[in-house]
Amino acid sequence: MSEQEPERRELAEPDTPERAEHPTGGDYAPSVAARLALFQRAGGILTPLLTAVVAFFVGGLVVLVTTGKNPLRTYEAIFNGSGLNWLFPWVRGEERFLAGLNLQQTLLLTTALILTGLAVAFAFRCGLFNIGGQGQYLAGAIVAVWVGGALSGLPRVAHVVLAIVIGALAGAVLAGIAGLLKATVGAHEVITTIMLNWIVVWIGTYAFGLGGPLQNETLAVPISEDVAETAKLPVFWGDPLLQGLHVGLFVALAALVAFWIVLNRTTLGYEVRAVGFNPEAARYGGINVPRNYFLAMAISGLFAGLAGALDILGWQFRLSVSDVQVSALGFIGIAVALLGRNTAIGVGLSALLFGALLNGTSTRNLDPEVFPPELASNLTLIIQGLVVLFVGADVLVLYLWQLRRRLRGRSAVPPRAEAAT
Amino acid sequence: MKKFLLPWLTMAFAVTALVAVSGGAAKTEATAAPASAEQGAFSMAIVTDIGGLNDRGFNQLANQGRLRAQRELKIQTRVFISNSPQDYVPNLSAAARGGHDLVIAVGFLMVDAVNTVARSFPNTKFAMVDGAIEGLKDKPTNVRGLLFKEQEAGYLVGYLAGLQVKRRPVGGNQKVGAVGGIKIPPVDRFIAGYRAGARKANRRVQVLISYSQSFTDTAKCKEAALNQISNGASVIFQVAGGCGLGALSAAKDRRVFGIGVDADQGYLGQHVLTSALKKVDVAVFLTTKAAKAQGARFRGGFNAILGVKTGGVGLGKVSRRAHPADVAATRAQQRLIAAGKVAIPQRVP
Repeated sequence: MSEQEPERRELAEPDTPERAEHPTGGDYAPSVAARLALFQRAGGILTPLLTAVVAFFVGGLVVLVTTGKNPLRTYEAIFNGSGLNWLFPWVRGEERFLAGLNLQQTLLLTTALILTGLAVAFAFRCGLFNIGGQGQYLAGAIVAVWVGGALSGLPRVAHVVLAIVIGALAGAVLAGIAGLLKATVGAHEVITTIMLNWIVVWIGTYAFGLGGPLQNETLAVPISEDVAETAKLPVFWGDPLLQGLHVGLFVALAALVAFWIVLNRTTLGYEVRAVGFNPEAARYGGINVPRNYFLAMAISGLFAGLAGALDILGWQFRLSVSDVQVSALGFIGIAVALLGRNTAIGVGLSALLFGALLNGTSTRNLDPEVFPPELASNLTLIIQGLVVLFVGADVLVLYLWQLRRRLRGRSAVPPRAEAAT
Repeated sequence: MKKFLLPWLTMAFAVTALVAVSGGAAKTEATAAPASAEQGAFSMAIVTDIGGLNDRGFNQLANQGRLRAQRELKIQTRVFISNSPQDYVPNLSAAARGGHDLVIAVGFLMVDAVNTVARSFPNTKFAMVDGAIEGLKDKPTNVRGLLFKEQEAGYLVGYLAGLQVKRRPVGGNQKVGAVGGIKIPPVDRFIAGYRAGARKANRRVQVLISYSQSFTDTAKCKEAALNQISNGASVIFQVAGGCGLGALSAAKDRRVFGIGVDADQGYLGQHVLTSALKKVDVAVFLTTKAAKAQGARFRGGFNAILGVKTGGVGLGKVSRRAHPADVAATRAQQRLIAAGKVAIPQRVP
């Protein structure tokens, strides 16, 4: 593998991101890959920031119109509700205690969103659109319930690690199916991952439903048994009884680092990105494209499955048929990856943003006087929708900008001079 | 190229933000304290399940009960909405920490969360709609279960349905159907009562039962209902919450009767024969009233079971297309049940 690597690098040179990043001159016709690379880097950190700001701005207008209240006060309440005011040293006493509780919940959400976001982002970097994050998340969760509930004789560390690993692998296997289908027969991953989502939902519905193999034995309700004490992740901040913050956060942060290292510092990541920029050129360069499709999907699924397993072992401890059917963290992961521009740091930050939004708009934090409880969760959805919308729209803005440039270049200004700006 | 675009965009936002901040800062200080309960005065909170406040079912009814308690008992109340299972524990503990004397959890899925939170807040009283105290693993004594005799409501609507198909057999068939969501005890009790009631009214009636495996997906229930209608059922009883609205829409499309559940769904039109009411609002109100009157003597550790007699379940608005004699006969059954003279099974065999 490593011996062949330099050769491959040379062959794939024309399409490497380093080159595609610098479109040279007016006569340059950008390929899909070059455009992708441009959008990837366009505006650096500024574009996603602007996207979020515009979304919040329009969201604020919505608040103003629907409630007639000052949107800034609402946003302030959401910010405090997310617990991020804990970071301010001047917040003291009771207020600080409550902020801590809120921040724990925000970070619990962030943990799962980082991983479901990475699941989408990794596949994106290989040119694949993984909509199956939800199914992979559930597969990890279901398997974690099973492993965490069975095998109760194991020592604690072994049990936790085993449940996490098998849960993550379940996600990888599920996504791997979609990757394999893409690699072998070219079945589009959007279709297959969506269909696999439903397969998992109905497996879960069967497994936890009355009379199902994982339904609890004591009560006639469609909920699984609790996972064993030995399989629960330790809580490092807050009350373990009242859903404190578990150590899974560090696993998620480590996953961010791993994501960056794998993509940017390994042969695998190099190949994945090359395929993502242009599969034809990658194939020409000697890269095994089907193999990369499969691996990229499987690794995506690994992240999402990990999210499911950590949620179960960290705070949820059990699953019900209803949880399986209404869970949506995997889908929010798509928005997280989009806003995060499919980069490690971007996904981390946007997961924190979405976690803070989801938790900050919950009715336990929003004073009913500030914002009517009926509207609270809808505000999150509005802002989420706006973010996704503007992520798409800024690509449009960039496109128009380029178009204008090209038109100008054709008429008066010499292409060389234009390119210099 | 971005050099042109970004500065003025950023500036525009900075300016709008500044204007908004200067306008907002003055107001912020005026209302600082959140609406937490005053010391001493009785207050209660409800914690809803997933599905939103306007679900035309459980959450909405519970909220109506809360608003009625606020109005009639002149107390402070607050609602905490759960958007995901992750909200259960924080919502319940925020309600308890906020100084509410009584916290009512809505929905059987919250039993485990109530269990842990009730242990951590032993001085707060808890009640759970549809949650049986047998499900509490640590047996906290400050929790009361609020259960319903769904079989009585099911019996009444089944009785009316049985009479209806006897009067108007469709294509020689005397069949009625029930579409359940997920087979959990309350759904089971509704359907068991429905079957018993229909058979009591009409010995020749056949009762079709199926489950959609969902409480939310209207398409699933519509499909199940259409199946039953194709098999000759001319009254469809939905026992599937939001999903069941699909069953009622199937009934409307195929011009047969539907029967609503939990809330009064007669607002959907005259094709809704009646509704099997499960008055969560009454349960919430009565529990709040008792907790306010009894104070520290309000006990937990048992299930309060509401039936026809206590007004906890009953018959909803009856369609104008139903025959008055049938309706009168059903009301007579209601009086018999209230007097405790009808034995109704609680399980579908």
